[in-house]
Amino acid sequence: MRTTLAVLLACFGLLWVVVPVVAHHAVGAEYDASKPVKLTGTVTKIEWTNPHARIYFDVAQPDGTTVNWNVELAARSALVRQGWTARSLTIGDSVTIEGSQARSGANMVNARSVMLPDGKKVFSGENQ
Amino acid sequence: MRKLCVVSAMTAVFLPLLAQSASTQYDPTQKPIAAVRRAGPPKGPVPRLPSGMVDLMDATWVGGGPVNDLEGQGGLKKGELDAILLPWAKALMATRDETQEPHNACLPMGVPRVTPFPYRFVQNYTHKPPTHMFILHEGNIHSYRQIFMDGRTHPAELDPTWYGHSIGRWEKDTLVIDTVGYNDKFWFDRRGHPHTEQLHTIERWTRLNLGEMENKVTIDDPGAYSKPFTLAFMATTTPGDELLEYICQENNQYGIQTIPGYKGPTFGGAPQK
Repeated sequence: MRTTLAVLLACFGLLWVVVPVVAHHAVGAEYDASKPVKLTGTVTKIEWTNPHARIYFDVAQPDGTTVNWNVELAARSALVRQGWTARSLTIGDSVTIEGSQARSGANMVNARSVMLPDGKKVFSGENQ
Repeated sequence: MRKLCVVSAMTAVFLPLLAQSASTQYDPTQKPIAAVRRAGPPKGPVPRLPSGMVDLMDATWVGGGPVNDLEGQGGLKKGELDAILLPWAKALMATRDETQEPHNACLPMGVPRVTPFPYRFVQNYTHKPPTHMFILHEGNIHSYRQIFMDGRTHPAELDPTWYGHSIGRWEKDTLVIDTVGYNDKFWFDRRGHPHTEQLHTIERWTRLNLGEMENKVTIDDPGAYSKPFTLAFMATTTPGDELLEYICQENNQYGIQTIPGYKGPTFGGAPQK
């Protein structure tokens, strides 16, 4: 068992070459790492587009209203290369988004994590 | 054991991202973003066409030019390029920040800049020897460069454009692309290195092996730099990859709501003749 694990790790190690891929734009100019957000809500719209795919979701407020957030993901073509599709998420899904908020303070977030209630992460990989 | 290795290798290729979010520290201020994990470029000899000519067209390529920093990514020492910037160009560059670059507004990246997305060399095929080479870019906007391979020269009167007027020739195994007639609108990199319509580039693309190609670029722009300089970049193939549709204008929201006081891209800025 230990040998099996060692072989697996060795083979992974050989092939996991990180290829640096730079962004359509530098994320830091638009989104502020010092404004981390973690929000849970319901998906209202999915835009499977370039230069970024986006999802929009409603977050319930204590007063009973909702606030709609705009979430920037990676480029559509980058997500496609990583195996994701527009059907990887459905309108009405509950999601927890973690990321950085827009420097303007708008309800926009550059997501580093989009998680479903069962803990599964979709559109994973660094945003670009 | 061998079977086990193959299985795990396949898993590494197809499911690498499952662990990526856990293994990658997120820092939006970092310049390179590890968005794609894949096996490294393939090993093997330079492939050739039946005519014996080097084949550049069998795969898509990434890299081979600057994105963030023309100087550092091109192999120059820090400050080396900035030392030959003419005073007006240095002053212009000092006013630029990355939020203003035309590339963010889905405009072309010019030459020799590249994007994170792949491109492909395509040569036309007719009853005559090839007369045109095209470089098809997936992003940042779908665009193409046209390189005349039929021996013509540059026209005397040039209409400035984003990619200029390119003529190409083979010097042994190196594709040499000579381009003039650029506009002054694109930025060489995110730092905002400028240029003028006097820009003249000579790219020397040499495929080193199956997976790698060097691009040595000489940049001569007496309007912005006190002397010509040469940079070197490496492109790599992406085995099995194909160009995908990338319509940047479809949903570009760059800066509009995210950056306070966002004013859009800034162009040119060279002194008027």
